[in-house]
Amino acid sequence: MKRGIIARSAFLTIVILAALVLLFPFFWMLSSSFKTQVDIISWPPKFLFSPTLQNYQRVFGEQDFLRYFLNSTIIGISSVGVSLVLGLPAAYSIARFSQKRLSVFILVARLMPGISFLMPWYIIFSRLGLMDSYTALILSHMLIALPVVVWIMSSYFASVPREMEESAMVDGATRQRAFMSIILPLSGPGIVTATTLSFIFSWNNFMFSQVLSMERTKTLPIAVYNFVSYAEVDWGAVMAVAVAIMTPAIILTMIFQKYVVKGLTMGAVKG
Amino acid sequence: MRRKAILALVVALAIVATATAQQKEIRVLLANHPYGDLLKSAIPEFEASSGIKVNLEQYQEGQLSTKLATEFATGSSTVDVFMTRPLQETKMFYKNGWYQPLASYDFADFPKASLGLVSFGSKTYVVPIVTEWQVLYYRIDLLKKAGLAVPTTFADLEAAAKRLNSADVAGFASRGKGNPAVTQMSSFLYNYGGTYLDKGKAVFNSKAALDAIRFYGKMLGTYGPAGVTAMSWDNIMPVFQAGKIAMWTDASVFYSQIVDPAKSQVPAESVGIANFPAGPKGNTPFIVVSWGMAISKKTKSLDAAQTFLAWATSADMAKRALGNQQITVARNSPWLDKAVLAKVNPGLIETRAYAAKNGVPFDRPYMSAVGEARDRIGEVIIESINTKGESANLEKKANDMVVKVNELLEDTGEYGVQ
Repeated sequence: MKRGIIARSAFLTIVILAALVLLFPFFWMLSSSFKTQVDIISWPPKFLFSPTLQNYQRVFGEQDFLRYFLNSTIIGISSVGVSLVLGLPAAYSIARFSQKRLSVFILVARLMPGISFLMPWYIIFSRLGLMDSYTALILSHMLIALPVVVWIMSSYFASVPREMEESAMVDGATRQRAFMSIILPLSGPGIVTATTLSFIFSWNNFMFSQVLSMERTKTLPIAVYNFVSYAEVDWGAVMAVAVAIMTPAIILTMIFQKYVVKGLTMGAVKG
Repeated sequence: MRRKAILALVVALAIVATATAQQKEIRVLLANHPYGDLLKSAIPEFEASSGIKVNLEQYQEGQLSTKLATEFATGSSTVDVFMTRPLQETKMFYKNGWYQPLASYDFADFPKASLGLVSFGSKTYVVPIVTEWQVLYYRIDLLKKAGLAVPTTFADLEAAAKRLNSADVAGFASRGKGNPAVTQMSSFLYNYGGTYLDKGKAVFNSKAALDAIRFYGKMLGTYGPAGVTAMSWDNIMPVFQAGKIAMWTDASVFYSQIVDPAKSQVPAESVGIANFPAGPKGNTPFIVVSWGMAISKKTKSLDAAQTFLAWATSADMAKRALGNQQITVARNSPWLDKAVLAKVNPGLIETRAYAAKNGVPFDRPYMSAVGEARDRIGEVIIESINTKGESANLEKKANDMVVKVNELLEDTGEYGVQ
């Protein structure tokens, strides 16, 4: 009994310590977003201070942050959506017909440093008059989203027993029908995982948006730098923007966390 | 009837199309800099008076460099006018043919030294906008309490740092992080009689240069704040603003922020600004053009771009920048205008006058691969700081890095070229 209590309290201590270490940066970011510049830099650090909303007012009042928010959302949702439409059948095909070469090819596209795509993309998109358009950004973000979808889903599909679709096909369903009506509904956790991860990767992407967007399609990670001026950093506003950017990602992760774990481990156990 | 309506529609469309075609448009890229902010707010005036529509984009300096370099490298850029950092970018941009020569611009109002950097052959490519120079910021109250005068020589500086250094307050600070430290080390280097490059060859392993690097390392290693080798201006300024640094040498650009009560815990009356202290070989601090403005070689609207450039870099705009926003502009005339100077902090006027007369127009090795060169030199500086200037290995390290910087110069065909 006694040993049980000791083990339990030791475990709790470790958990609390780990949580403190992991959560402190978030706490610091959140509290700084409600501090004045003087309070942020004060030493020793102030844990008790009179909170101010001026940082958020600067972010959402003086700057067009809602537009940047909207841009990131449109680009994230569209690139993930198109990637799902193309990537799910591709992943299924890879899983069922052992197209290893195709899957490696897709992985290579993901492994290549993104910066090597930038120049050709710039040339192509500017010749097509697509600079500063959602189309260019959605296409570029698909480079991030599509391989994530294909790789997570191909191992997921491989873990779904073949018998399921075969019995449907015995009953007269086409392979497409079996895929749509049997396999996809069974793959909920995998699809949620792929969607969440690829959306977060797109949401946080800096490099592609930096070169391919202009004023109209500026995304959030680029707009953070609106508050980093020459020889001056507006820490309060930067913290407020960081809170605003992280909130959707945190909410998404919290809602779908259990699926994400399931989705990632499901394919792992099946060889 | 129907035919008439179609005809009227076609004519109307043609008129609209012509009107649209007549309105000139230019694409302008500005930096997140107070001068960029000033232009942004004034652009409606320009559009109204010139009839030229300005499509404006504003970026943080690193983003701006990346964006410009990527767009220009593809040869398909649509940028017309842009802000540029002469010491960091001009040599590379010029060599790549990305700047339009400014043949018709009147440069009479600019200091000759500032134009030297942005002129190649008989042509000038960039209009200098903003200058900055190295100064000494100090805590008036702490010096007074210790009965010390404002240091005017390196010997005074060291003695004062020693007296003011305590567990709570660092006696002296300057950038200690390798790459950014290179610019703030430069005035120490000059005042010891050294330099980074001479006639296109790296020479920061000379006796004078090594003495300067040792002194810089000793000052920061002994009296600097904890963790100084990871600190650039953005880490040092908050510590100064929190009252934990007694003296700080850096660029003049930070003055307005450290005397702003909304940003600093130290009362403005306790913060002083003075000329950079003299070394064994005199006092020639850097005074550099930190920002300029240029036209893209690929512009399709040269006339409109020139009109915009003339407006954005005019003497009138420079006076507004200096008088209203304390932006230390490159033009001479605002610094001679009594009405403007009445609104400018006297400390800035005095230190600028000294640096403009005696200063050196470089704060880093002026070469295409400047970023890589700064990383190499930064390693020598960090070695010196970590050993409080005592490193037995310093000369060897400097020799190694000189070889590496010379290789960088050779790679771009700049070795041995003045």
